[in-house]
Amino acid sequence: MIEVHGFSFTYAGTATPALRDVDLKVPKGQLCAIVGPNGAGKSTLCYALAGFVPHFFRGELKGQVRVGDRNVPDTPLPELSGEIGLVFQNPFNQITGARFTVLEEVAFGLENLGVPRAEILDRANEALRLTGLGSLGDRSPYALSGGQQQRLAIASMLAMRPRLLVLDEPTSQLDPAGTEALFTHLSDLVSSGSMTVVLTEHKLEWVATFAHRAVVLAAGQIVADGEPREVLASPAMEALGIRPTYYTQAARAAVASGLAPDGRGRPLPVTLEQAAEFLRWR
Amino acid sequence: MEIKVEAVTFHYPSGVLALNEVNVTVGAGETVAVVGENGAGKTTLARHLNGLLRPQSGEVWIGDWNTRQKSVASLSRRVAYVFQNPDDQLFARTVWDEVAFGPRNLGGTPQQVETDVRAALERCGLQDAVGRHPYDLPAAERKFVAIAAALAMRTPVVILDEPTTGLDAGGVERLGALVEGLKQEGRTALTITHDLDFCAAHFERVVVMSEGRILGDGPARQVLREAALLQQAHVRPPQLIALAMALGFPTSPMTVPEFLADYRRYTSQRSSPQ
Amino acid sequence: MTATLYLPGASGVHRLNPLTKLTLALVAVVAGATLETLTVTVAVFVFGLVPLAVWGRILRPFLRICVRVVWPFAISLFPIQGFFAQGTTVLFTLGPFSLKAEGLWIATLLTARLLVGLGAATLLMLTTRPDVLMHSLVRHGLPAQVSYIVVASLQIIPGFQARAQAILDAQRSRGLETEGNLLRRLRALVPLVSPLILGSLMDLEERAIALEARAFTRRGPKTSLTEIRDPAWERALRWLLLLIMAGLIVVRLT
Repeated sequence: MIEVHGFSFTYAGTATPALRDVDLKVPKGQLCAIVGPNGAGKSTLCYALAGFVPHFFRGELKGQVRVGDRNVPDTPLPELSGEIGLVFQNPFNQITGARFTVLEEVAFGLENLGVPRAEILDRANEALRLTGLGSLGDRSPYALSGGQQQRLAIASMLAMRPRLLVLDEPTSQLDPAGTEALFTHLSDLVSSGSMTVVLTEHKLEWVATFAHRAVVLAAGQIVADGEPREVLASPAMEALGIRPTYYTQAARAAVASGLAPDGRGRPLPVTLEQAAEFLRWR
Repeated sequence: MEIKVEAVTFHYPSGVLALNEVNVTVGAGETVAVVGENGAGKTTLARHLNGLLRPQSGEVWIGDWNTRQKSVASLSRRVAYVFQNPDDQLFARTVWDEVAFGPRNLGGTPQQVETDVRAALERCGLQDAVGRHPYDLPAAERKFVAIAAALAMRTPVVILDEPTTGLDAGGVERLGALVEGLKQEGRTALTITHDLDFCAAHFERVVVMSEGRILGDGPARQVLREAALLQQAHVRPPQLIALAMALGFPTSPMTVPEFLADYRRYTSQRSSPQ
Repeated sequence: MTATLYLPGASGVHRLNPLTKLTLALVAVVAGATLETLTVTVAVFVFGLVPLAVWGRILRPFLRICVRVVWPFAISLFPIQGFFAQGTTVLFTLGPFSLKAEGLWIATLLTARLLVGLGAATLLMLTTRPDVLMHSLVRHGLPAQVSYIVVASLQIIPGFQARAQAILDAQRSRGLETEGNLLRRLRALVPLVSPLILGSLMDLEERAIALEARAFTRRGPKTSLTEIRDPAWERALRWLLLLIMAGLIVVRLT
């Protein structure tokens, strides 16, 4: 689905590249999480997948980004919209303001794509249902909570039936309940088979629970890539500025003191369930 | 500086009841975390503490000042409030001027202002950014500029509204060190947070709010252990306590070494490992 | 959270094509500006606009808005015209000033004209959703960007106000005094205006990205979820109204 090859990008007016020689292949139907400290280049990678780098944010670009059969840097943005969805941190700024109700807001993108009217209604309602907003169609987008507004942003993208959905720190401004709802909906979307999701996230517990794959970005380069449990519990994370969950830390301490049953050889836990299982005495 | 909230009730103009007969007293030098889901009334309560909101019934005392009788600007001598969005306040051309804004407003002498600003910048790790334009800094650094701006006012009380939003692990650690520094200086620190792990690591007392009322108020160790209470408030316990509960320990470990000690104690009491 | 006067309803007026209502409003405004006689002007209001308001079932809000906006003008118009307009029929004197009937008459005519123009605009705004109006204009050639700016501003202005309040709260909490003499208030503006503008610019950039991601800049025909009916009789009516408007202007100019 996604093929990034030798990709480097330096924003105009800066000296250091934000991303250096990035190689990434994401198969269709995967929920891929990108983690890393602030400034590592996570947002840049998101924008590169959606074409905003280099079309909106100018700079020097090297290498390739292919999504599906599209060469992203060579395709003008208006042609990409609808194929690659982008959701970012601030829920409020993603409401266009052009429409007065939630349903119309979701339909906005479809109207711009010239989709026939009957189909617009079906697709918009479907998108609302998939994000748990089905009963809120008549409300003003501004009357929703932050978490609901973020799901509205996702629904607005989903209605356009993108093949790839990119989310940049989507839970940053949400409370735990909103975060869980968002991840659950993303996970459902991916398991239905129609969508590939790439998201950036700081909250490792959620990544380990829902993502199929974790990619670690630090100082513009990919430094680790694999199954979330292996990557996030790896001792190399601390040095990169990524503090593992307390579950991992507790298990690591137990193993180091020789207390954990059969600690050596087993992968360290990242979530609560994994840690309870790891540390439980039989 | 003691903070006293006495039977405070507050309705928003829309009619929503945000605080319902809330009573809480915070002693000088305490560190308190206020937790609860969105809409529980946490921010409404915090805004009563610096005069942005006035109770409709009940009283709020900051030391010997009643908030009804003081303007927000004068209350800022005693209570510094760090808002969730630093971009709602940054306006100066340099970090220095931004951080000096508060102390200057409070009428400090140039020497005093210089000392306070310098100390605050160091505390927040911003010594090297002194001459830079705040908007040239990344979002996380701007957060620390806003915090430094509040610290420089040398108030006995500091309120932090969702300070961990948008910070990575390094940022949260820096923030934690800051809170410990406030403790050492004997300042009262109150935070509103969703991050229960941050809360458990640095705050001695936890107030749990739900639907405008205080459901629980006490030492962190005690309150964070009460599973039913937290569940009622739709709050998840910190990771280590959740793990202790899952493993059947009756304890509330707040740090990894404490967890390890509990683990050692409770698992050696059972049958030997496989 | 929208800065709009629209009152939802299912009346005949609500169902009219927005362009028809816009044309009606324009003709009424022109009529108000060009008609010479008080009687005719008042007749337009009483026999033209008021029945439309009744048909739209918005009579009370309509009258309330008309009165509330016009009466401050009326209050100043009457004394000013009464005392200072040219005229000979003196009604009574107050020191060096004399209240003349001609002046009062002029004030009455001006007030009536204001009522007609304002009434027409109010009628339009109470019965028409701004986005539906903009949409029909776009169908007739208005650039989509202009339509977006108008509609989005209505929704974003309350957000702008909320941000301004948040900034005010933040700066007051840092000791900024906002009460007091004029100089102090002026000095208080800098830390208030700067974050407002900078913050809004940053938001604008994000919103531009969101719009782009929703294919807003895509060339090609756009469709619409909301159907706006435009029956032939309304189109004919609009042409007729435009002719009347042209006629009124010609008559006034000659």
